[in-house]
Amino acid sequence: MKLNKIRFQLAVLLVLCISHVMAFAQSDPTGESAVTNTYALTNATVITAPGSQLTDATVVVRNGLIIGVGSNASIPANAQVIDASDLFVYAAFIDGMSNTGAERPDNPERPRDLFTPDPPNEYAGITPENSVIEQLSTENGDIAQMREAGFGIANAAPYGRMLPGSTSLILLKDAEHVDELLLEKDNILYAQWVGAPGAYPGNILGMMAKWRNIYTNAVNEKSHVDMYSENPSGLPRPTNDRVSEAFFPVLSKEKPVMFDVDAMLDVRRAMRLQNDLGFKLIVSGVKQSWMVIDELKSTGTPIFLSLDLPKEPKDSGEDDASEELKAMETRRMEFYNLHVGQAAELEKAGIKFGFSAKGIRGSNLKKNVMTLIEHGLSEDAALAALTTNAADILGVSQVVGTIQTGKIANLMVTSAPYFTEDSQIRYMFVDGEKYEYEKKEKRKASSNAAASGDVLAGTWNYSFESPQGVSEGTFVFTKSGDMYEGTMTFSDGQPDTDLKDVNFRDGSLSFNLEFDAGGQSIVLNVIGSVTGNVFDGTITVDQFDFSTPISATKDGK
Amino acid sequence: MRTMKKLYTLLALICFVGTAWAQTPKGDVLIKNGTVLTITNGTLVETDVLVRDGKIAKIGKGLRTPRGVQEIDATGKFVMPGIIDAHSHLAGSAINEGTSQVTAEVSMEDVVDPMDVGIYRALAGGVTSIHLMHGSANVIGGQNETMKLRYGTTNPDDLRFEGAPRTIKFALGENPTRGGRARGIQPQSRMGVEMMLRNSFTQAQEYKREWDAYNADKNARKVAPEYDLRMETLVDILEGEVWVNCHSYRADEIYMLMKVFSDFGIDRINFQHANEAYKVAPELAAFGATASVFADWWAYKLEVYYSTAYNAAILTENGVLTSINSDDAELIRHLFHEAAKTQKYGDLSDDQALALVTLNPAKQLGIDDRVGSIEEGKDADIAIFQGHPLSTYAIPMMTFVDGVKYFDREADKSDQRIYVNPESSIEEVTVFNREDMHKCMEGALTFEELFSTSKR
Repeated sequence: MKLNKIRFQLAVLLVLCISHVMAFAQSDPTGESAVTNTYALTNATVITAPGSQLTDATVVVRNGLIIGVGSNASIPANAQVIDASDLFVYAAFIDGMSNTGAERPDNPERPRDLFTPDPPNEYAGITPENSVIEQLSTENGDIAQMREAGFGIANAAPYGRMLPGSTSLILLKDAEHVDELLLEKDNILYAQWVGAPGAYPGNILGMMAKWRNIYTNAVNEKSHVDMYSENPSGLPRPTNDRVSEAFFPVLSKEKPVMFDVDAMLDVRRAMRLQNDLGFKLIVSGVKQSWMVIDELKSTGTPIFLSLDLPKEPKDSGEDDASEELKAMETRRMEFYNLHVGQAAELEKAGIKFGFSAKGIRGSNLKKNVMTLIEHGLSEDAALAALTTNAADILGVSQVVGTIQTGKIANLMVTSAPYFTEDSQIRYMFVDGEKYEYEKKEKRKASSNAAASGDVLAGTWNYSFESPQGVSEGTFVFTKSGDMYEGTMTFSDGQPDTDLKDVNFRDGSLSFNLEFDAGGQSIVLNVIGSVTGNVFDGTITVDQFDFSTPISATKDGK
Repeated sequence: MRTMKKLYTLLALICFVGTAWAQTPKGDVLIKNGTVLTITNGTLVETDVLVRDGKIAKIGKGLRTPRGVQEIDATGKFVMPGIIDAHSHLAGSAINEGTSQVTAEVSMEDVVDPMDVGIYRALAGGVTSIHLMHGSANVIGGQNETMKLRYGTTNPDDLRFEGAPRTIKFALGENPTRGGRARGIQPQSRMGVEMMLRNSFTQAQEYKREWDAYNADKNARKVAPEYDLRMETLVDILEGEVWVNCHSYRADEIYMLMKVFSDFGIDRINFQHANEAYKVAPELAAFGATASVFADWWAYKLEVYYSTAYNAAILTENGVLTSINSDDAELIRHLFHEAAKTQKYGDLSDDQALALVTLNPAKQLGIDDRVGSIEEGKDADIAIFQGHPLSTYAIPMMTFVDGVKYFDREADKSDQRIYVNPESSIEEVTVFNREDMHKCMEGALTFEELFSTSKR
């Protein structure tokens, strides 16, 4: 009786909510909302699933769903008809793991008088009870950028350290409110090997032990909670420990754990914990999978390969290079080929994998998929990785991943078969909402930037003082679309490093970069202002409370 | 504890099944006509050693070569058991979890990096086993890992010395107190170190009592105490299942630890470095403690000034089981020279000197039933030298682990790396810097200390 009453109230509330949203949508003072939400793409080549293609087919979309696919699909009267006779329609891509949509929160401040052996959970980065939803923003620029690269869904991971919280599957569309983006919330517990700066657990040693400790206590806590809920009489009250509770669905295998592990040994360590503790594991962002193919196969561990590929090494090209140098260059190239050939190796081994777009953006996504194909990956397997496999691993293959009546209308429409160099995305449909893209003339964007005298794009010579002495080199910024990308070079022979989160607005420039200092990952944050050809700023290293001024000048050309 | 132990036996079993694919290779070989330095049975001239399926099957003269077994002519060469380094930081992705002064729960087993090219360089110095130790940044550090140098795999499990006893790192003196002062936590003095040890073991006893009471409770509706892997490990030390290897220099603190261990009934202790152990040699012998020392390395900080190259010899002559270790990626390549120094400083016999880097470290690590000497039935972990290994002119020629050849001077590729970062730059010249190789305090330093001159 009581329950029915609550149900009734909920239903009323739901109706109110929906009518509110609808009312809002109908009276759109901006005039931006679509005239219709019914679309028909006619006479298209439709790649319904990897390896399965329809020609001269129609895809009908209404209210966010695909309602018809095929040559005799009926077109509703109110549909906007798009002549797609020269176009190719694919299921929009699915990114297995990235921080898309999430805004990086400030690092937790180091507490005063921190007791380093036992820091607060927030500082230690042990917050599995958190959700990426708290970090999501509809304003986040990556949403539009990923969509422009063909993605309709991202598995958004929270920023943080060892156990930042849960990921959520988000639809990469424009929205008023974060809730509208959510396809599946808190679907997976996200984990990485990132220790607390100067506190326990500080590195992989402590994190492995901490994982075991947390897990075993969660097992004990769970049986305590179960016993208590059955009959609390005479039992001590469970502690309501949020960390343990966050693990309950992991213990029962309702919720998998996704380990963000790029290096082979980090993959093995995640698999080792899985083997010892028994949870459901997904490894993602993997960059060295060819060394664990047997183990992936025998354990059936789902994997998202990183699309962040190494740059192709360049030989010195000097005629007088020593035999030793040449031999080392050959070996370096051998390993480059292993990196870019690993997707093909996984395909050959019969391992179904998806891709992770973490750490890589824009046009590089397609470029790198093409590189994998050039090194032996079949186009069907590439498409499967970007669509069906990702949907399978993330448990949403009933609603997305293929072009099928009844599925969510997440479509990518291209000017040519996607896996050709010249193909361009003309439309994206995400959750049935249409996004149209201008036809781009080849190489126009970059020459435009140069012609218009872009303030930032170009080469900058920097210099700053580090504890080891003066460091010099260049920053090279390029503009793609509205976004900047950049690389830092070093005059002392260190390899080039990609700049991350390059942000340039109203003369103020910020970016960061990460490099490896003997096994410890160091993040440098650079922020400052550009006046004419001069940049003045500061480098800070959060891990060490270190900061130093940096200056750079743009060379004349 | 019992349920936990059951759980862990089960887990261990699952691990075993889970890693069953990682069957490490075993070799068959006949090493002919060498001078065999057995360590346990003197020197046998013009003798053959037959290896079948990774084990030493037969030692004798004029052995017949079984069909399909490779012959190696060791005429004029010396055949000795593979060298064992009881203190190494090779092949560790991390060395110190120095953020807490007690980290008994962490284990080097979790962080083995089989791709460290230093492993190959150690093999090229005749080394077949190492004791990968946690660093010395904290009083009770992490558990160590005893390994066989089966180089060439990317699977850390392949390097495990199956069945070796568990060991753990402790540290006394300047390193842990420096860490304590830097972090504003205990201990900041040698007194604090002792107190921290006593407090930790007392806590562990309390923890055990709680779990024993829980396990003995017949009530079905009982609530488990908090599980603490740190305390579990400390209990295992108290119960003799985990053997302590303690970083130490000064005689007074060596003596202190023996007193603490007497009070808590712990009888197995190997002192690492122990530069002043010679001052308490009879006391060490009486306790049954052992020592793993440098031949002649000291004066890199104040507590290591009072040292002597006679340390190993004095300890040996006083009946203290002693080994010589490297704690260093370069020194590990000539431990046979380090052993030879005890003949210059202390007149040890050939067998005594060689035992310092073979049988004695094997005993200290509890693997002497498998390695450390050339005996029938033992693992075929063997090094072949040109020139007597205790001679200045000794050159390691071949190194075998489980009868498989992992190093051969005649067939030595110049680039032995297992993985090459495609984005790495190639430098034509590598300047060797010994200070960089020393990893005892790696990861335990602050940013400022990284750039200061004192590293060790």
